[in-house]
Amino acid sequence: MSDIFPKWTNKLPLMAGIAAVVVGLTVTAGITYYFTPKYTRVGYQPKQPVAFSHAIHADQLGMDCRYCHSAVEKSWFSNIPSSGTCMNCHSQVKKDSDKLQLVRDSFASGQPIPWIQIHKTPDYVYFNHSVHVNRGISCVHCHGQINKMDEVYHAKSHSMAFCLECHREPEKFIRPNELVTKLDWVNEGFDGKKAVHDWKVQPGQSCSTCHR
Amino acid sequence: MKTIPPLCPEPEVGPKYWRSLDQLADQPEFRHWMEREFPAGASLAPEGESRRDWIKLMSASFMLAGVGSFVGGCRRPEETLTPFAKQPEGYVHGKPQHYATSMPVRGSAVALVAKSYEGRPVKLEGNSLHPDANGGTDHFAQAALLNLYDPDRAYRHTQAGSDVKVEVVRDLLSASGKKFAANGGEGLAFLTERSGSPTRNRLQDEIAKKFPKSKWFVYEPVDFSACGRALSVLFGADVQPHHRLEGARRILALDCDFIGTEQDAHRNIRGFAKGRRSSDDQMNRLYAVESLMTLTGGNADHRLRVRPTDVVKVAAQIGVAVLAKAGISGELAGTLQQLAAGSPASAAWAQACAADLFQNKGAAVVLAGYTQPAAVHLIAQALNAVLGAFGPALVAIKSSENRADGSISECVAALKAGLDTLIILGGNPAYNAPVDLEFAAAAKKAKNVVRLGYYEDETAKLASVHVAAAHFLESWGDARTGDGTWVPVQPLIEPLFGGFTEIELIARLLGLDKVSPLDLVRGTFGTDDAAWRKFLHDGHLAGSAAKPLDFSAADLARVAQALAAEKPVAGSGYDVVLARASSVDDGRYNNNGWLQEVPDPITKVTWENVILISPTTAKELGISESANAKDGQYRQHLLKITVGSRSVQGPVWVQPGFADHTFGLALGYGRTETGRVGRGSGFDAYPLYLDGSRHVATGAKAEVVPGRHLVAVTQEHGLMEGRPIVREANLEQFKTKPDFAKNMDLESHLPHYVPFKEKPDGRNVDPRPQNIYEHPYDQNPSTASKIHQWGMVLDLGSCVGCNACVLACQSENNIPIVGKDQVARGREMHWMRIDRYYSHDPEAVVTSETAANDPQMAVQPMFCQHCESAPCESVCPVNATVHDEEGLNVMAYNRCIGTRYCANNCPFKVRRFNFFDYNKRETDYAGAQSQHFFNYGNLYKGPAGVNRNEAPEWEIIKLVKNPDVTVRMRGVMEKCTFCVQRVEQAKIAQKVKVGNSGDVAVPDGGVRTACQQVCPAEAITFGNILDPDSAVSKLKRLPRNYSVLGFLDIRPRVTYLARIRNPNPEIAKIEGRTQPDTLRDYERFRHESPFETHGHGPAHEEKHAAVVPQKGAA
Repeated sequence: MSDIFPKWTNKLPLMAGIAAVVVGLTVTAGITYYFTPKYTRVGYQPKQPVAFSHAIHADQLGMDCRYCHSAVEKSWFSNIPSSGTCMNCHSQVKKDSDKLQLVRDSFASGQPIPWIQIHKTPDYVYFNHSVHVNRGISCVHCHGQINKMDEVYHAKSHSMAFCLECHREPEKFIRPNELVTKLDWVNEGFDGKKAVHDWKVQPGQSCSTCHR
Repeated sequence: MKTIPPLCPEPEVGPKYWRSLDQLADQPEFRHWMEREFPAGASLAPEGESRRDWIKLMSASFMLAGVGSFVGGCRRPEETLTPFAKQPEGYVHGKPQHYATSMPVRGSAVALVAKSYEGRPVKLEGNSLHPDANGGTDHFAQAALLNLYDPDRAYRHTQAGSDVKVEVVRDLLSASGKKFAANGGEGLAFLTERSGSPTRNRLQDEIAKKFPKSKWFVYEPVDFSACGRALSVLFGADVQPHHRLEGARRILALDCDFIGTEQDAHRNIRGFAKGRRSSDDQMNRLYAVESLMTLTGGNADHRLRVRPTDVVKVAAQIGVAVLAKAGISGELAGTLQQLAAGSPASAAWAQACAADLFQNKGAAVVLAGYTQPAAVHLIAQALNAVLGAFGPALVAIKSSENRADGSISECVAALKAGLDTLIILGGNPAYNAPVDLEFAAAAKKAKNVVRLGYYEDETAKLASVHVAAAHFLESWGDARTGDGTWVPVQPLIEPLFGGFTEIELIARLLGLDKVSPLDLVRGTFGTDDAAWRKFLHDGHLAGSAAKPLDFSAADLARVAQALAAEKPVAGSGYDVVLARASSVDDGRYNNNGWLQEVPDPITKVTWENVILISPTTAKELGISESANAKDGQYRQHLLKITVGSRSVQGPVWVQPGFADHTFGLALGYGRTETGRVGRGSGFDAYPLYLDGSRHVATGAKAEVVPGRHLVAVTQEHGLMEGRPIVREANLEQFKTKPDFAKNMDLESHLPHYVPFKEKPDGRNVDPRPQNIYEHPYDQNPSTASKIHQWGMVLDLGSCVGCNACVLACQSENNIPIVGKDQVARGREMHWMRIDRYYSHDPEAVVTSETAANDPQMAVQPMFCQHCESAPCESVCPVNATVHDEEGLNVMAYNRCIGTRYCANNCPFKVRRFNFFDYNKRETDYAGAQSQHFFNYGNLYKGPAGVNRNEAPEWEIIKLVKNPDVTVRMRGVMEKCTFCVQRVEQAKIAQKVKVGNSGDVAVPDGGVRTACQQVCPAEAITFGNILDPDSAVSKLKRLPRNYSVLGFLDIRPRVTYLARIRNPNPEIAKIEGRTQPDTLRDYERFRHESPFETHGHGPAHEEKHAAVVPQKGAA
């Protein structure tokens, strides 16, 4: 009797099994990679070269965000302060602290401190800080409660859906400009709808708003 | 139900507009090619390899891709943010800064404002604060930025061919300074380029004092000083001209391409366009007598085509007539009479032209071109004196340049007599000196040749010491603009390769205490700090413009005497014109990819020069078929031109409107020592550039050489057939019916221009038939912004087609160059192109030869028209091209999957596809294509080719990119975005300014697109069409306003203003052209005239008035 099924077909179930495992693993890996917050780096918390605590500076001492991030109202980019900015105070306060050695060295040598970037939009996204903070959108919406963080981590997803959430319903997020850096502010009676109407807030929802 | 759009009206006989001789010839091959969307097999695989090769390659690439992704890792790499250690005061990260500076060029300068982003200049714009500028520049100034970031520029100092440190150069300079101080400069000579820099002049004076026996020579191969020399004869003093064409109502250009290739063309364009825009009786009229077909001839109301050696005859003939009218006789009239003998112009033409000039005495000006001999310049200045041009249209100002001890011939004589040290500051005499002087051989006789050069070029090979020069954006300096205004050259960046400036080198030779360029300029300027800061801020010194010389100093007798001594060469055989190239100048921009790839404004040839001949000359030479195009690839005959014992060889290009018995050759190509970009581009025409004859040689012989040469042209790409695309009328016709343009096509049956407006139920109010392409706001009107709707108007009456906008767009929008091979395949990436149409007399027998001899020319910039009902949007399967809230047709590069459906459906053919990673892979520049796969250019090799991102020298070229615009990759479509980055920045700036208030509308003029900003003619206006008081809304209400292909009812947001010509009725009668050829042709096949009411235009006018939007009403 001739072979209807050649001999190698004996291994077919095994091969099918292996294939199923491989496919299954790929799908699992794919979902883990692309569909979890990790993909958008939520929770990303690198160790910074200087252990700077926002909780101490912004919360306990009550410093305004804009003391250090001075370009946020003027530029698309919210700058990391120069070592000189740190030294404004730390030439007096804790001037011998070991933790600040790198800052003092940097200020003396002119070599910048290599801070590690946490929040990053892709190159094809043109996000502008100044237009948001000057039109009643707070730091907290995108960066979370930085004032409670000892070490900064990536709190929100920064995906396109995240942006659109606010661009579609700005009234839920808007607040008076002077409260933009008050990260603990709770809305008690501010009429977002009215502000959106009066200030003609019409956040774009088409591609050209962010992609150029 | 969808309405079938009206069929395009097709001409009954012959095409109305033609853009090349091939189209005119209307060959079936040509038609087949033209009807394809992507020409030249753009979408085909290269020939010559099998499917197997492809499969092999593809599998290899997949494998590599797989390996790459494993090795590269999955997560985003860690990046650092490095702020300043000590932040400079007032510096805001991420905000561009603007500095006033200027680009010195041949004794003049272009006043500029440079935009700097995080310490690197990324865009140059004209300085509108300058008293003699409007913010526009020429195309050279736009492209000069790329030279700064040229990886092939001189990056080292060398002595006897080996690298030396900068200290060695300094020591060497001060040592030779001491040596020559001892002997009074015996054996020392300088060879420099023209410059009006007050600081250089000061140092030159000091050189003359300290080294009295030294010599100072100035040489430019394309020297615009002939006009100044003639003027100096008239005024008896060392003067230079300053043209004010805005004050001229009649202009006669004697072989003078003042719009294209003359000195300070952008200034001339500004003046000319200003006098043209009015479209009323104050409109200027331009007569051009020329041999080459130039932009000036194309924009002229009357053009007389004569061979270059005959220009003097025509000039004299007109001169005789003008003098007769002015009642001047004597020596001058007699000399002119003699010179006029044998003029090819008809007496009636010359008489009518002269009468018109004389009638407009006090507002008529005559210009002579740099290629013409002294006689023509003398005649021009004599006529200017008689016609009262001095004052209103032209002034003589004191020359801003110091006197020199001679030019190149004196320099060569000095070299032959024996020189110790020759110092060459800039220039490239080894390449571009008159070839019979044999400069290179003479220079070898000098003991030392010190050369300051931007490139290690032909001249660098002669130099014993070569010093790298700094770019003007890296160095302090100063200059004078054409009107004599003192302008600073302010650096924006430290010299990338430690280059020297001219003034520093001279100062070190002089042994001055302070040798830094900043100190030197301050030394000239003075110690007033406040004035200095204002000087730098404004970019000019107020009130420093030269005082015009009083006309009473002019003496016609001196001109008569000088003219009598001139013996202009009579033409024999063939004439040869050696002209400044519209792209690479005299060769100085040879390694600039933007300029190499920008199409010539007339021929539309890229990447090389060609030998231009007229159709008649072609026939004489036996070049019978003008059409050599196969699949859009032009394989041209080769021609060898011999003058005396010297000859050059290059591809032939038959140019309509070109003078017979004349060859036109552009200088600046065929360099032997140049960078990667310029290598292999064109042929060198300098072998015919002789000391005696310079730009016009005569008695040339020509022979056809066997073989063909591929020429990359953009001429036919994106052709629009037979529709009234450019609409034009003569001034008299326009006055009888100002809205003629609206009557010229089927759109006169449709409402002409109806901006978006909605009914309460959300439908559009206007009664047009439903379009086959959906209107973006029809279905969802709430998406449309009620604050801004952007639109643009382009005035064809002002546009001269100078290419400045094309390059400004390239610089602003990170548009890559693709190389000759890709251009020849129709894959050029320019978002903006300037269509150039010829039109001819339809009564004439339509053959290449007759029709092409004296065509009328029209130019039309074409770019994305931002149609409201955009055909491209409907066909995109992935919604990558969509409308935004403010009427922009936007491209989302990340969504694009490269189907190219949108480009296929675009009626304007303005979309550009990235067939390759032009930004990532090195293109083949001017390299010729080979036919075998493995010898195909680098682009075709994909990952196996040279990836420029991995080569360290390419780091520098990335610096030129505008950070506000995405750099596109392979496989995506792109096109004009209306400079969306500028729109968004203006909106953001306004919102930041007003904070918590509702005044968010950008004020009119708040957004200026790159093309609008650079346009010296101010032909482009952009703005908010919802604001009835905005400049753009006002222009859109003009009767001349029309949409191209408006009958498709796609409602472009870009509209054009019809062009008005202003011919002299007398000459029009002689020429038999009572209306523009295009109009005559239109009437011929439509059997109706737009000037007769045909029942649609006026009725629609009323309707239009009713729907003009009111602010806030929409």
